[in-house]
Amino acid sequence: MGKPSLKDTAITSGYKMLNLMEMAKMSIKHGPFDMIRDIRRYPWLLDFAKVNRLVTKLSIGRRGNYRRAVGMMLNGVVKEMINYIEGIFHRQDKLVLHEDMVPPEILRAMGLSPWMPELLGIILPMIVPDSMEEYIDAAENEGVPPDLCSLPKAVIGITVKDRLPQAKAVITSNLPCDGGMSSYIYVEKKIKAPIFRLDIPHNFKDERAEIYFAGELKRMISWLEDHTPGRIDWDRLKEICEERNRMSEYELQLWEMISARPAPLAAEAVYISHLWYFNVCSGLKSSTQVFRRLVKLAEDNLKNGIAAVPDEKYRALLWNPPTMHVIDLFAVAEERYGVTCIMDSMSFNRLPFIDTSSRESMLQGIGRNIMNGPMARHTRGPMENYFDDIFHIIKRFDIDMLWMAGHIGCKNTQALNNIMREKCRTAGVPVLIIDYDLSDTRITSRQGILSQVDHFMENVMKAKRII
Amino acid sequence: MTIEYYGGCDIGSTTGKAVIISDSGIVGSSIVPREIDPEKTAVLALEQALKTIPGISSIKDLSFLIGTGYGRSEISFAGENISEISCHAMGVYFCDRSIKTIVDIGGQDVKGISINDDGTVKEFAMNDKCAAGTGRFFEAMARIFRMDISAFSDLSLNAKNLIPVTAQCSVFAETEVISLLAGKNPPENIAAGVQSAVAKRCFMLLKRVGIIPKVTMTGGCAKNRGLIKAMEKTLNEKIEPLSVDPQIIGALGAAVYAKMRG
Repeated sequence: MGKPSLKDTAITSGYKMLNLMEMAKMSIKHGPFDMIRDIRRYPWLLDFAKVNRLVTKLSIGRRGNYRRAVGMMLNGVVKEMINYIEGIFHRQDKLVLHEDMVPPEILRAMGLSPWMPELLGIILPMIVPDSMEEYIDAAENEGVPPDLCSLPKAVIGITVKDRLPQAKAVITSNLPCDGGMSSYIYVEKKIKAPIFRLDIPHNFKDERAEIYFAGELKRMISWLEDHTPGRIDWDRLKEICEERNRMSEYELQLWEMISARPAPLAAEAVYISHLWYFNVCSGLKSSTQVFRRLVKLAEDNLKNGIAAVPDEKYRALLWNPPTMHVIDLFAVAEERYGVTCIMDSMSFNRLPFIDTSSRESMLQGIGRNIMNGPMARHTRGPMENYFDDIFHIIKRFDIDMLWMAGHIGCKNTQALNNIMREKCRTAGVPVLIIDYDLSDTRITSRQGILSQVDHFMENVMKAKRII
Repeated sequence: MTIEYYGGCDIGSTTGKAVIISDSGIVGSSIVPREIDPEKTAVLALEQALKTIPGISSIKDLSFLIGTGYGRSEISFAGENISEISCHAMGVYFCDRSIKTIVDIGGQDVKGISINDDGTVKEFAMNDKCAAGTGRFFEAMARIFRMDISAFSDLSLNAKNLIPVTAQCSVFAETEVISLLAGKNPPENIAAGVQSAVAKRCFMLLKRVGIIPKVTMTGGCAKNRGLIKAMEKTLNEKIEPLSVDPQIIGALGAAVYAKMRG
């Protein structure tokens, strides 16, 4: 694809500069001495400070609006992550640790400061691929089975190494898996804060489940009011849900546009955007703004006949959480083979909107989103929950092949791999199952992951390497 | 009329293989031990294969040459290099078009391959992370039994019973076999357990690509008669014998591709 133009280089440099400025502002606001103290307390801050490495990785090979979309999206991540970190520094009296399946919208509507312990295990390996390994080792040294998913192992390691912030309360749930649930036993022991466990119904596809879950959310709200300074502000919750709905509208527009062949935007610009803005900071105006800009960039590309990947040859559906420690997988695949990641299992959902007409409808809507979220509906219930989505997406987005990020620690999805192979074989959809671990580079190295891609593309897709 | 010759060279982890074909079929082949330098191995293998062909003396006389195997990218004088997975599929297709599934056991990996009607790869699965079930594993086992590899291959054919051996890990399997031998268990029964354990691993791999008859084996371990018997029992399918040495199938597939390119 050749060297990037001066304009492309300037785009990336500009976003890198903005990221550095955000971090400098945080340091100044916090004060140098407190900053040094907190870096010693939370050494992962140093890994986060290397975020511009991620910008570089995800900009390689990308041009124009695609590159701008990546930079803009990551700049938004940096800003909100800093806001998150400032919650540790300045709002510890309102800090609530919440598991990744617990809706942060409600915590925000209560004036609380959410902190998702899984967040570090998700974002840091993207920046520094081996950043979670000391925590994984710490968890295993505590007696945690090595075959547990590395994300809860990272949470356990961060906890036992005392790198989690002290919080007023902890909220967890029975989702998405046993590993996730077990990690909160360690959090509970270490943090010594009161803990609340949301009971999310297993059979979630009926109104009874929605009513039950809404009841659980009410119970959570009143528990939080008893144990933290937070008080529910229903008007604020309505604003948050409406803002989330606006973001969903933009996302649907974006999906409509990327259905076109070739797609005007792709890969991380689409899937990290969903992963971050919908799961970590939905309902914020700044998050909606990112999606509004993504739509604009995609629109411009469509109007001008510009493809995100100029030589789009194959459209891929990514299944399972992305390969965190080789997060530039598709940047590489785009350049080598013209593979474009169009959609992924973590982004796709069919019930994005929340009815804000009453308190009850809002809670039911939030609950419905959680229960129908990818890590919930795909890991429970009949296999149709999983496969219906796969084949719906393949048809809707004109997908050529399925790339399954076969995270070795995810027993729920590993169990479905052979059925997936058989179903895709029948449907004539080529499948690549990448053997790897979500956040442990020692299981399968970067080279090992990329060679699996090469083998698949050469032998099954009969593709010639472009570069 | 000048005869056109096409070469395929498969540089594996333990041996180098070369096959030369012309319009009349295979005209030369060789198997040589691997040198440290893959390119040197390729030269040795090709020169040995060329020796048997009258009227051609140099690699340069080949109309087209394709490299395959782990060392394929190091063969600088090859016109192209192609993955060994595709080459094994094409090599088998050249020998017998009715074969649809291959288990290829090489020196350091095991692959399951399903073939399209045109000899290209439909699906594949591979184990290249663990030595259990590979050629290296059998070499280690033969050492423990104090036999050469061919004697060990036939040992299990005389087994009256089978003593189960865990082949999840080659190191632990070695320990287990040493204990069983020390316990005065009949060696042929232990060997049958070893072959059966490897066959079960291959079965799991083949399940991933789908077992469509006919099935064959390629790679050096396809000469292991004890393993073939265990595979037939485990798969409940006949392992189709090939008309050429199964160890040169990758090189043959490369030569067939070379003919297509040339």
